[in-house]
Amino acid sequence: MKSVPFSVVSRLEGDAAVIYPKGYLNNLSGESLVVECGLYIGQGITKIVVNFSDTDLINSIGISMLLQIIEDLKNIKGTICCTNMSKFLRDTFEMLGLIQHMRVFPVESDALKYLNAGKV
Amino acid sequence: VPFNAIPAADFLNRENELNYLKGLSALKEKALGGDVFLVGARGMGKTELLKQLYRSLFWEDKVVPFYYSFKTANLKGAYFAKDYFTGFVRQYISCAKKDPSVADNVAEPLQRLMPAISSLGLYWLIDCIEDFQEQVNKNDIYWQMVAAISAPVVAAQKSGTPVSVMLDDFDAASSLYETSLGDAHGLISLFEESMRNNVFSDHSLMGRTEQMRLGPLPEDLAAQLFRSHLANLKITCPPGVKLDFLDILRGNPLYIRNIAKAAAKMQKQDLTEKDLIECYSFEVSAGEIAFYWSSVFSRYVPNPTKRKAMIKFLMHSVENGSIADGNRLSMISGLGEAETETMLGSVETSGMLRDKDAVLQDFIRCLYLQEIEGREANDAMAMIAAKYLSEREKSSFELVIPMSSNAELVVAKAVEQIGININLDAEFLKHLQLALIEICINAIEHSGSYEKKVFLKFITRPDKLEIVIENSGKPFSSDSLKEIPVEEKLRMGIKRGWGFKLVYSIMDSVKVERVNDRTRVILTKEIKDNEVLK
Repeated sequence: MKSVPFSVVSRLEGDAAVIYPKGYLNNLSGESLVVECGLYIGQGITKIVVNFSDTDLINSIGISMLLQIIEDLKNIKGTICCTNMSKFLRDTFEMLGLIQHMRVFPVESDALKYLNAGKV
Repeated sequence: VPFNAIPAADFLNRENELNYLKGLSALKEKALGGDVFLVGARGMGKTELLKQLYRSLFWEDKVVPFYYSFKTANLKGAYFAKDYFTGFVRQYISCAKKDPSVADNVAEPLQRLMPAISSLGLYWLIDCIEDFQEQVNKNDIYWQMVAAISAPVVAAQKSGTPVSVMLDDFDAASSLYETSLGDAHGLISLFEESMRNNVFSDHSLMGRTEQMRLGPLPEDLAAQLFRSHLANLKITCPPGVKLDFLDILRGNPLYIRNIAKAAAKMQKQDLTEKDLIECYSFEVSAGEIAFYWSSVFSRYVPNPTKRKAMIKFLMHSVENGSIADGNRLSMISGLGEAETETMLGSVETSGMLRDKDAVLQDFIRCLYLQEIEGREANDAMAMIAAKYLSEREKSSFELVIPMSSNAELVVAKAVEQIGININLDAEFLKHLQLALIEICINAIEHSGSYEKKVFLKFITRPDKLEIVIENSGKPFSSDSLKEIPVEEKLRMGIKRGWGFKLVYSIMDSVKVERVNDRTRVILTKEIKDNEVLK
């Protein structure tokens, strides 16, 4: 377990936003993730890639925040792709039935290729 | 019988107390000593100390010892007076002749001792016996008791040699009666009068009597005493054998002696740690320790119809670590509130739950298994043995966290290290961390606890990990345990409420209990081969 404070950075790649949450995803950090995604959604972005390579731990409040993003994107017929997830994270999302509501890719580039190909 | 004391060499760690008591009459002459009220937990060696003192004084000529135990005494006034008086006369002659057999021969009538008394020149003792007999002939119980209790005083005055009176289980003297139980509550005060006037000092027993407390034997001396008992019983215990398990006996000499005796009864040789656990299991289920506690229990719960209720009640207390409120107690005992209240009073008086005595708690577990569940003593013995044999392989860690932001991460870090210590797979550990985080944040967010603390205990065994999480405050609402599918959550706009689903999915067993004002969650995970690093 890495003891790093949570942070979110993001970048725009074509018409998709790529979000990098880092650290423990809980209520406070989940809020900033929702805010970060909200900023792009507000700008009309409907494709979001969340790269979880630096997220080692999550809790149910963090998961509920992720559900908020899924719901926000669903309302605008957008897509959320999750990449670089650890087995733990993937198992957890699967356990909760969340995986059906997101596109999962092993790495970020696969998600971007998928989105660029317009298979949304 | 005051002579059946253990060898002085085996009477450990009480030298100071013994020397003080031996010198008490000399201190009294200088107005520096008084009566001593000996206190200590059951089995701590109070009786043994008196016996050692008796033996020591007996062979010296400075003080005449007199020992009387109320434990086995007939407390009906007339019987008691005769028993006490004849006991004193026998022990006095025994000491004068330096012949222990006189004191031990309780069947010999006093008349037959007259020649011995005459030959010793103790004519005042003959007067004393005649005075007592006169009260018996008059059938005056009160004066019989006064004559009996005053006998040591008279002896000290007439002979000029102090008499040291040792009253064992003195609390039972409060039950002395004239013709039927409870008809004369104040008879114990006769001792007080006697003490105030002459026997001990001018202090009254209840007011200014000095208190001497007997504590447990330290760890090393407890092991030494145990080895010494084994040696006396011709049982070998190789020096390399760790006697850590003896810690459970908390330095109680009675328990230590009984476990050693159990080893002899079970014909153990070359005692191992496993043997020790087996001896202990036998003792608390069917041995002398069980008999001892059973006698104490019966003394306080003589009514057989209430016995089962009391056992249930004690078991509840052992399992939960405390006594529940009145209403719940009634439910547990199956009795009305008033009866439950009376029973609670008996438990308090007996002191059976006062100290967290693990031995007593195991006895209660065995009693419950046998008398409530109808199982055999062998089953009880096997249960206790299995418990401790598996516990030998376990280790436990305790942690208290404040209910503050990110405190659950401290728990996650702790369980990570515990997992590393027992070679758990990193991926498996992440899931454990998540389960624990969920329980902790649930407590932090929803308990409303004023204490603002979460208590955790991690118990690891080679095949199992158990985590106990406890906090005060509100119990879990049933809503938090309800599972809502993600589609419904999306449809209804409910984002929260994943915690318990995660915990139930990750752990093999999740037990939620309410203990008084505390919520206790017990998480268990069986450790499979693929979850352990090779």
